[in-house]
Amino acid sequence: MKNIMDGIKEIKSQGRKVIGCFPLYPPLELFHSLGLVPVTLWGLKDAIPRVEKSDRHVQPYACSVARRLMEFLLQENGSALDGLFMYNACDTLRNLPEIIDCGLSDAGRPLPIFKLHIPMAPPDQTESGAYLRERIERLIRELEKAYGVTFKPDQFRHSVSLYREMRALSKSLETRVAAGFMSYGKFSKIIEEGWFTPVEEQLLVLRESLGDESRKKDVPSTKQRRVVVSGILPPPMSIIRDLENADITVVGNDVASQNRALCYTPTEMDDPADYCMDFYRHHYPCTTLLYTADRRVNAIRELVSGTGAKGVVFIGEKFCEYEYFEFPYLEKVLNDMGVRTLFLDISIDDDENTAAYATRIETFAELMDSAG
Amino acid sequence: MTNKASVQSGHQKSAAGKRLSKIMFNDYMNLHQKAGEGAFVVWIAIVVPAELFSGFDNVVYAVPESHAAMSAGKGVGPLQCEKAEKMGYSMDLCSYARIDLGTAFDGGKDSPTMGLPKPHLLVSNNNNCSLLVKWFDIYHRTWGVPHFLLDVPFCYGPQNPRDLDYIVSQYRDLIRTIETLSGQTFHMDRVREALERTSDALESWKRFLKAAASRPSGLTAFDSFVQMAPYLTSRGTKALADHYRLLAEETEENIARGIFPVPNERYRLLWDNIAPWHQLSKMSSRLASLDANLIAASYTYCIGTLEGELDLYEYDGGDPLTYLARIQNCSICPHGLTLRYKAMRSAIERLGIDGVIFASNRSCKVYSVMQMDMLKRVTSEIGIPAVMIDVDHADMRKYSEEQSFTRIEALLELIEDRRKETKQSS
Repeated sequence: MKNIMDGIKEIKSQGRKVIGCFPLYPPLELFHSLGLVPVTLWGLKDAIPRVEKSDRHVQPYACSVARRLMEFLLQENGSALDGLFMYNACDTLRNLPEIIDCGLSDAGRPLPIFKLHIPMAPPDQTESGAYLRERIERLIRELEKAYGVTFKPDQFRHSVSLYREMRALSKSLETRVAAGFMSYGKFSKIIEEGWFTPVEEQLLVLRESLGDESRKKDVPSTKQRRVVVSGILPPPMSIIRDLENADITVVGNDVASQNRALCYTPTEMDDPADYCMDFYRHHYPCTTLLYTADRRVNAIRELVSGTGAKGVVFIGEKFCEYEYFEFPYLEKVLNDMGVRTLFLDISIDDDENTAAYATRIETFAELMDSAG
Repeated sequence: MTNKASVQSGHQKSAAGKRLSKIMFNDYMNLHQKAGEGAFVVWIAIVVPAELFSGFDNVVYAVPESHAAMSAGKGVGPLQCEKAEKMGYSMDLCSYARIDLGTAFDGGKDSPTMGLPKPHLLVSNNNNCSLLVKWFDIYHRTWGVPHFLLDVPFCYGPQNPRDLDYIVSQYRDLIRTIETLSGQTFHMDRVREALERTSDALESWKRFLKAAASRPSGLTAFDSFVQMAPYLTSRGTKALADHYRLLAEETEENIARGIFPVPNERYRLLWDNIAPWHQLSKMSSRLASLDANLIAASYTYCIGTLEGELDLYEYDGGDPLTYLARIQNCSICPHGLTLRYKAMRSAIERLGIDGVIFASNRSCKVYSVMQMDMLKRVTSEIGIPAVMIDVDHADMRKYSEEQSFTRIEALLELIEDRRKETKQSS
């Protein structure tokens, strides 16, 4: 993976301002339309092998996403970025802005931090559109003031079209994985690098990748063991290799940094508040979007049955309570459908010594075979 | 040293303690009885404004977090946690949740209160802790019980008016939901009356906590942990208002008579996090044996206040929903670091705190993640020592008394060192 810090410095050397967005689903289009380059700060595993600075601020029972994000921001005293954006994604992330602020202020380089509350009340329970509108309009005013820019509806429409295309191409790539024409590992790398790349460059990479893959005439293995992968982050590369070595094909994707983030884009429109209302309301269900709870179980069922998956591999992001509260129920639902499940609990440093995972994955693959 | 000292020390069961036991017993008996007779049962998160339910003829509410705390205090926490873990719930999840899931899915077996009557409605909120929403979703999915989610913006500063309006609109939705599901009519006047009783109760609560300013302190934080229970289960009742009035009077009388929980008090400490429910008696006694007293806790001094404050935010008789929305953040977890620090600094200065124990609690990330920076600020800006110990509020399997007390004893030594330095420099 390319060095993220170098990549961001390169963007900045072109005179562009970079805003770091906390995971999971920031309104990237909005930042882009204001001339900023948004990067989403997850999947930093390769760039942040150690978290010494973060450990001085955050306990080890925070998830790897939070700890790496913290480490990334404290490296070089946050000089990589021009601002930060966060929303109420989870209990751990919501506590971080002021910790980051303290850390960077001590170093004499405070960063502007923009905050947004995305309504989590279910739409059929509470009408929250007016509230979100007010928050989005306030966010725009804050961004305009901080960066001396002006919001322009036509620019916003253009930004939406770019992100729409990026998500559509990413989805096309995902179908290539399901069809066995691209490895899940390669797909994961492309998507992960995309979170740190300007959308225009991301589109070039995606188009090129799709072109390469479509020229291949490989016939997918008939011995496919078809699974859905679910989690906040994709499995570490060592585990992806174990999956592929066991002839397991990822035919369905329920990973937050992949399909959950890429599945849905509203059509182009000029009004950012309307856009965000649509974007969040119809977002692919996620454990962290509390109002999607009633849609989530059905979404998993449909993903499994629609892809013909025989198993689901849950990648447990250690200490992510949102995910862990759901696993037992989902496991039961899937087992009732005759679908095998494998739960892999991944800690921050679980990319080495993965032999135990390999054994479990091989056993899981054999069990899928025996289930027919 | 103060004379007439009680020979007992630490947290002791006083007359108020005995009255408390009776109130709690009555609360749970009443809950089960009314539920058995057909009342509409609501399960709520602790900061859901329970006074709203008094606006209905026959709605009762249960507080799973409070029940879990009681279970932990009675020593059945690990047993119930293990039941949940056998169902696949990770040990890393909140121990309140595991106790509750273990209890609920085992039909209330081993619970000190025979569990809780099954709900007709679940009401959670996401400002105190969002995981409670996920926890209630399990019941929603398993039992098919409707789940109402109060969406409350997190506070990095004082609540803004737009957030308040948004919360009020959700209260109206909640009222409509209960009317529809229960077939009962809502009466706002009754909520107003309930709020007046809650306000009276909280005024007495603040008087009770003020007894910590006495030297020695008139209370231990352990007293406040135990005594907060009816605030969760009996909000809006005369029983609560009467009990807290008597509690305040009794505590003030004890001070006047020279009766103190830690008569040889040499170290005045502050606790930051949820109470260690399984350790109240042991920790209290052991601290007292070291002449140390936890005289305050962020967990209990926040009750009845606005964000970042210590003083009571009184009900002025106005629109009940507006008032309830304004105090929707009246616990610690919905506050950012700046607000938490502001309140802690006030408590340290007002009460003459010598040192702070930050209880890093992996069962409550929302409370704990930011404590490392809080600790730094307390030591560097206020200049008093502080330590961090590992605690789980309800799962005693994750607590080591010896490790904790090694650090607490180090804290006491730091306090002594600081005193010597101050004496030398003066």
